[in-house]
Amino acid sequence: MRDLEFFRNVSIGQYVDSGSPVHRMTPATKYLWLVALSAPAVASLGYAGALLPLLSALCAAVAAGVRPSFLLRGLKPILPLFLVVAVMQFIFGWPGDRSAVLFRLGPFSATAREAHIVLMAVARTVSLVVIVGLFTSTTTEGEAAHGIEDFLAPLARLGFPAHAFALAATTALRFIPIVAGELESIVKAQAARGADFGSGKGGVVAKARAYLPLFVPVMIRALERAEALAEAMEARCYTGRGRTRFVVYELQRGEWVARLAAVFLCVAIFVLDSAVSAPLAALLGVFA
Amino acid sequence: MPLIELKDASYRYEGAQRSAVDNVSLSIQAGEYLAVVGPNGSGKSSLLRLLNGLLSPQTGSVRVGGLEASDPRNAHAVRSALTLVFQSPADQIVSTVVEEDVAFGPENLGLSRPEIARRVAAALEATGLTEERCIPPHFLSAGQQQRLAVAGAIAMEPRAIAFDEATSMLDPGGRDSVLALIDSLAGRGMAIIHVTHDMSEAARAGRIVAMVAGKIAFDGSPAEFWGGRTDFGAAACAIASLGLPSAVSAARSLGVEAGAADSAEGLAALVSSRLRGGGLVPSGAASAANEVGHAAAHGTRPVSEGDPAFSLEAVSYTYLRGTTNQRAAVEAVSFAVPRGAVVALVGKTGSGKSTILQLMDSIAFPTKGRVICLGEDTTAKGVDLRRLRTSAPLSVQRPESALFEPYAGDDVAFGPRNLGLQGGGLVSRVREAMELAGLPFGDFRDRRTRALSGGEKRRLALAGVFALAPEALLLDEPSSALDPAAKRAVLDIVIGLARKGMTVVMATHSMEEAARADFVGVVSRGRLTAFGPPEEIFYAAFDPAWGIGRPFACELALALRKAGHVVDGLPLDLDSLALGLRA
Repeated sequence: MRDLEFFRNVSIGQYVDSGSPVHRMTPATKYLWLVALSAPAVASLGYAGALLPLLSALCAAVAAGVRPSFLLRGLKPILPLFLVVAVMQFIFGWPGDRSAVLFRLGPFSATAREAHIVLMAVARTVSLVVIVGLFTSTTTEGEAAHGIEDFLAPLARLGFPAHAFALAATTALRFIPIVAGELESIVKAQAARGADFGSGKGGVVAKARAYLPLFVPVMIRALERAEALAEAMEARCYTGRGRTRFVVYELQRGEWVARLAAVFLCVAIFVLDSAVSAPLAALLGVFA
Repeated sequence: MPLIELKDASYRYEGAQRSAVDNVSLSIQAGEYLAVVGPNGSGKSSLLRLLNGLLSPQTGSVRVGGLEASDPRNAHAVRSALTLVFQSPADQIVSTVVEEDVAFGPENLGLSRPEIARRVAAALEATGLTEERCIPPHFLSAGQQQRLAVAGAIAMEPRAIAFDEATSMLDPGGRDSVLALIDSLAGRGMAIIHVTHDMSEAARAGRIVAMVAGKIAFDGSPAEFWGGRTDFGAAACAIASLGLPSAVSAARSLGVEAGAADSAEGLAALVSSRLRGGGLVPSGAASAANEVGHAAAHGTRPVSEGDPAFSLEAVSYTYLRGTTNQRAAVEAVSFAVPRGAVVALVGKTGSGKSTILQLMDSIAFPTKGRVICLGEDTTAKGVDLRRLRTSAPLSVQRPESALFEPYAGDDVAFGPRNLGLQGGGLVSRVREAMELAGLPFGDFRDRRTRALSGGEKRRLALAGVFALAPEALLLDEPSSALDPAAKRAVLDIVIGLARKGMTVVMATHSMEEAARADFVGVVSRGRLTAFGPPEEIFYAAFDPAWGIGRPFACELALALRKAGHVVDGLPLDLDSLALGLRA
């Protein structure tokens, strides 16, 4: 542990302000698009379902004035992950895998089914990273916070605590840099006292004990700060009930069209996916 | 009818030995400007929480605008009539956009949108944050963040605002801006209750309430509090520990009577007229015993010959390197610290002082340039970082937040244990360190860490660093956010070590503290804009653009010279000023 800088590793999406019609849409609509594109990217059967959301997101990015290359750059840090997935698939086999063997290396072999799984994982991840990147680059932090509440508003009518949920989510997000900052300061304080984390000798218990000087103070500080925030909110008359909203998002022209389009696109991708994927898989003999 | 009225109110925390607020009666009129002072743990914060119903008294009553504060049905009315501004700016921000944070309170009151918009605009206007209204609060300076908290309070359209040590975490510039804001609110007829450890701040109020051990020990005018009265009885010691406003201690050491709130200019005019009228003969024998009245840390200033303890050579450091948020924290900084010297780093919050200290402790490494710590290049291959870090350890800001052992002695032992000490050697090392930090080993080794007072925790954290038997100390704001007595205790420990030859580099926002160092480094936007003896920094080289202020004695000496008087030398403390003042 040489470099003790933590913030570099805490990256939240960056807002790119271009003032496009996509940016001007209400956050609830953006959340709807986020869900509508993420769902098939995660839950589709085949490549069509995993990659069509990516294509749609890239088209939307162009419309929003966000450079696709900017979104794709977000993939850089997770590239090693793809390699790990590929290696794991190569080393471990699937029980009952009778698909074609592509090549062998010593006792290990790569089969068509394994290749399919790796490619699907890559396709899904790339889609998700780009979709979430598009969302955060067109939605400010404040909009993201209020948007959750608006998006969940239909559920609120059924008694779901949409406002409390939104507040908890934003507060949690706001606390990430705060806790990271406390952790950084405490790591530095203990390092100055000769602490050496991570290279602890001995068993699991001894190693876990080596981290006590970090976790105990960080937990205490996080709780203290949470308490201070709760008190400040209470002093400002927060009860969670009877609130009004200062920020209300006006529906833009075509907003409902955009929302319907999101739902339609989501359904269409799923339908197309199941229509195309099953025969394709059978053709490849992947699940044979 | 008074705006706020406490009658025989008491509050005791669960499991506490004594009441935090003990049978207190107090009434505050609309438009009054009141300062509440007292040592740590005297019940000031609990008193504020009783006032707006965050705590309910177990006996007695609290009324705000005629309404019982502890009745939950009155919560909205009471909390919007009396709003609170807390100590830590970041811990009271709720929203991710400035104007939305201001709107948080009015939203909770269930007001209509146009009404909220009107209040938000007015509150931002009053606090000078209109231009910042659309940006995220974490882009604001600490002083601006605290003004944002005030804006949030103003938006409730209260009749009184209470400040709970709201300036204690700010740099001099931020503090001045918040104090000016408080004054302007008071001027507009808002009642102000200002809890503070700084007597010069308290002196701005029209009425002082001193709390000692949960009771009100004094309630009256500043002139009475710092003037003639000395009959504080059992509370005398605690009240004396609070110290005096700069202007009062200066007036006393020069032998004149002065109103507590006098500025250096006002006091100079008074001294001047007394000198001219023959009512004051400069004696040069004044005996001021106060926080500024000490000589510099050393009789003679260590000279930079031989091998320096630290040397920075054109050091730059970039924060968040390689991300789109990267920011130069330190740029081309060069200076050397002679062995045995005390160096104070001063400058605004965020100017780079902490980063410089971390670079010197090899916790951060220069992006460009070289840092030599105790003769070794911190980036050299094969350098033993643990040894280097522990020979010149850094005590971070609020070091007590890194305490983790349940018992005090064990926490101090953490460092020497990491260095391999055991048995008798370890015990004697811990004993020595605790005694050095003013925590007698016998009394404190088995005390529960969490039960120590704020000042004791700070000293315990310092003992944990002393236990490493270091060659040099790096201290990041060692006395910040403590009460006056604890501040003095910590500073005396540091100066004591320096007298024994320890090299000390510390960051501070207090110019009286900086004046006691051998060298002062002024840091501004990551650059070292000036470095030299305090006499040079605060006189010939001084530039108001640094945003750091000067020691009061220095301001006073300059004001006296401006009025045509002769002041010998370059006084940085009141004793030398009194000695140097001629006709």
